[in-house]
Amino acid sequence: MKAVGQVVAKLSHVPGVVAAMVVGANDGLIVETSAMMGATDGVGDPRKHTAALAAYLYSKVTRASQAARLGNPAFMRLEAEKGHICVVGARDVVLVAIVSPDANLGRVRLDMMTAARGE
Amino acid sequence: MKDPTVAEAWVATPLRRLMEDARLISGVLLYPSGRAVGQFGFSNAADVMSICALTSAINASSRELGRQLDGKPFQELHHAGAERQVFMARASAGAQEFLFVGVFDRESSLGVVEIYFAEFQKALEKLRPEQPSAAKISPPRDFEGELNRSLDALFGPIGKK
Repeated sequence: MKAVGQVVAKLSHVPGVVAAMVVGANDGLIVETSAMMGATDGVGDPRKHTAALAAYLYSKVTRASQAARLGNPAFMRLEAEKGHICVVGARDVVLVAIVSPDANLGRVRLDMMTAARGE
Repeated sequence: MKDPTVAEAWVATPLRRLMEDARLISGVLLYPSGRAVGQFGFSNAADVMSICALTSAINASSRELGRQLDGKPFQELHHAGAERQVFMARASAGAQEFLFVGVFDRESSLGVVEIYFAEFQKALEKLRPEQPSAAKISPPRDFEGELNRSLDALFGPIGKK
């Protein structure tokens, strides 16, 4: 994978990406993050919580995928009322993107998987 | 998972929530003096006694180390072992300070423990009793006596079970 700063900067410029983060896969701590795009409804910064819980969820999804004999997950997308959380694993880290509902998810997916492969 | 046992009833709900949400294996909430306030995951008073004494000592030494290195005490301490990890942090409810030490494994992560510990802190602040408990306003006693009294509250008096 490229330098984490570059990965975050590139992902954060994809239309619809509200925040992009590189997160420790085992500890769920943020390694590098972009700024949050737009308002946060007056509530606290959601990035730390999102990073920890998305990394945790991805580890459980990996176990589920392996239990189903499907191998490791390639891409995880959680669809919520007001947007999506996308996660891709890249060895010791996971890439996490908070994405708006109107984003081009195909582009987000492609760019995240490309970044995870280190291209 | 067994419910926490507590010496002060108001900490039971936040402690249970922390245990469940952060998927902790075991944990102890104590005063910096070493007196236990609540615990989960332990069935043996001697284990809690050791943890309270060690946590109290680690807090005192790391606080002083933080003060010397950074001009202020460290807020939390984390040790990642091969299988299990230890998270230790300070919490406060009003003027009263607490220490918490928790153990987790790969079923959780440091990030997850940190976010639920922050919620635990908020719950302590919200639920703290208006009047300090009788135990808290009693004059300071010897460390060993304080520890034994709190362990009696958690596990029952030794030899009377």
